[in-house]
Amino acid sequence: MRIEDHPILGKAERGKRITLNVDGEAVAAFEGENIAAALIASGRRVFRYTAKRMEPRGVFCALGRCTDCVMIVDGQPDVRTCVTPARDGMVIQTQVSRREGEATHDLEKEKD
Amino acid sequence: MKNDDLVICRCEEVTQADIKEVISQGVTRMNEVKRLTRAGMGLCQGKTCGRLVTGILARETNQPLQELKPPTSRPPTRVLPLGILSRTTQDDD
Repeated sequence: MRIEDHPILGKAERGKRITLNVDGEAVAAFEGENIAAALIASGRRVFRYTAKRMEPRGVFCALGRCTDCVMIVDGQPDVRTCVTPARDGMVIQTQVSRREGEATHDLEKEKD
Repeated sequence: MKNDDLVICRCEEVTQADIKEVISQGVTRMNEVKRLTRAGMGLCQGKTCGRLVTGILARETNQPLQELKPPTSRPPTRVLPLGILSRTTQDDD
């Protein structure tokens, strides 16, 4: 669900349609909107899991300060998706925050 | 959920109980709270929890807020891959 006609910002000007690869699934987005917006519009809330308690986290401050929305983008961890513009073909992965320096965990293995 | 179970430092998952625990052992300054609980050492370097921890410390030790100096935070204040620092200027040309 995207806001098409904002009472203050007016009609949304969208970039061209692009596709993001999020954990292996294709997610439609508009060029230039930030990654977090595209993910939320696609119905996705959980962007990462915390190191200590494996708790799901996603957008919190939405202005680039709290780093709760960080994901692995094109292989690079700790990318703040709420302030990173989406570009076609980006490969985005859920970040299971590092313990002992390993950026990506197999989610299932972690859960049991 | 009792207030003490609330997560105060979201990056390092430190609860209010953890913070009160160290304060009850005689901690009076922000840097001590940070070093003992890791609150403020995470990716955002205290941008989210700094004020909250200061409030808790001030309340628990009834010190005025103004006297509680913020803890030292480690650069870079922005999330930065170390690879950028290792590139010398020649590499960029």
